[in-house]
Amino acid sequence: MIRILSVFPFVSLCVLAGCSNPALSDLGASVLSSTGYVSSDQAKGLFTAGEKVIKSQEELTPEQEYYLGRAVSAQVLERYTPVLAPGKTSYLNLVGQTVAGVSEMPETFGGYHFAIIQSDQINAVSAPGGFVFISSALLKQLRDEDELAAVLAHEVAHVVKRHGIDAIANASLFSALTEVSKQAASVAASKVSSPVDLGPITTVFAESVSGVTEKLLTKGYDRTQEYEADLYAANLLQRAGYDPHALDRVLTILEDSSIHKQGGWFDTHPSPADRIEELKDDFTFPAPQAPNVTRKARFKKAMG
Amino acid sequence: MSTARRFLRIVPFIIAGISPVAHAEPVWVQVRQSMVRAKPVFYSPGISNVSYGDQLERVGSEGTWIKVQGGGIQGFLPLSSVSADRIVLVARDITKVKADAGDVILAGKGFSREVEQQYRKTDPKVRYDLVDRVEREARVSNQAVAAFAKSGGLE
Repeated sequence: MIRILSVFPFVSLCVLAGCSNPALSDLGASVLSSTGYVSSDQAKGLFTAGEKVIKSQEELTPEQEYYLGRAVSAQVLERYTPVLAPGKTSYLNLVGQTVAGVSEMPETFGGYHFAIIQSDQINAVSAPGGFVFISSALLKQLRDEDELAAVLAHEVAHVVKRHGIDAIANASLFSALTEVSKQAASVAASKVSSPVDLGPITTVFAESVSGVTEKLLTKGYDRTQEYEADLYAANLLQRAGYDPHALDRVLTILEDSSIHKQGGWFDTHPSPADRIEELKDDFTFPAPQAPNVTRKARFKKAMG
Repeated sequence: MSTARRFLRIVPFIIAGISPVAHAEPVWVQVRQSMVRAKPVFYSPGISNVSYGDQLERVGSEGTWIKVQGGGIQGFLPLSSVSADRIVLVARDITKVKADAGDVILAGKGFSREVEQQYRKTDPKVRYDLVDRVEREARVSNQAVAAFAKSGGLE
């Protein structure tokens, strides 16, 4: 074991450097295997592992999305107090998970989490990884479970389509992620206990959190993303068994509330009227459902 | 074909520890916890729990779900819950990664718990305590969702 450890500094140096030069990688493997400590395949594997790790850092993993989402949620909850009412929260999560469950991403790294935040703004936001917040003011405007499902389905759509992450997905982010993976691979391969330098990645993390939070709470999604989320939500509602017309009704509530004319968060949003028109162009609505008595009753009971 | 010949044909699969299913591909669980289900439906009864980094074999697909097998069980997982890239827990020996492993993801690296801990030190005001509480209170079981959907005429 000691003999093997003695060659690892060389391995770790090459992994840290990325070994992007195939000739250098082969040379390293050759030198290693010539020592007799490891086989040729094992040696080559060590170098290849380093390179492959680097190649993998081209998008956020579900785990990375989750930790980003937690931090963004922490920022949201610093500004808006959560309504901690177990009955309402449980009901909200049952409705939310029902629509999320029929999506392309029925579960996330840490699971979907739906919560109510105290706010006079008619609003709902979702953070990467499946954190969804609906304002108390919007909740008061909704008349039944299907309308609530429509709001949550729209937010789930933003999560599945990873619209929040678009605000930060750039070369510098992936460069930083690559660097930390290279360091981790190096440390792991060398079995040296020196810690990975988390300073640069923490800085990038903080910038990413700010970028996503600003997009969610200030800038809003662009028109294309809103239309895409509406269309996806209508399909989710239909697949889950809810009435897709509920989305139409929610958009009408937004239109009537004139909230989109008040500036601020809704400035960059397409108007609800435009969204309704766009949705009708792209989605074939089924015949309206008769109101479901059980769903209406349990909505009233849960939301009071 | 004689019984002996049939047996000889499956011997390589027995030795390799896999069943003779065409085009089986390795996949790794990329969510913290999931459940291999009896049917490709979110509320379907669970057969077995799986965790981040667990390796299974993909033996088929159905819509956005895949059929997997491993550890003596067979069932369905959401396609989004698995990765075709090898997930390596760094605590394990990364040197075991073979040259032909394909792309590798290091679990717990990048934006991770350890980065979150560093970030919390830079801004103690952020309300992670409330995020933890939201996560705790938001938990609903698959069985509860299934019963909820059924009673609401949503199946």
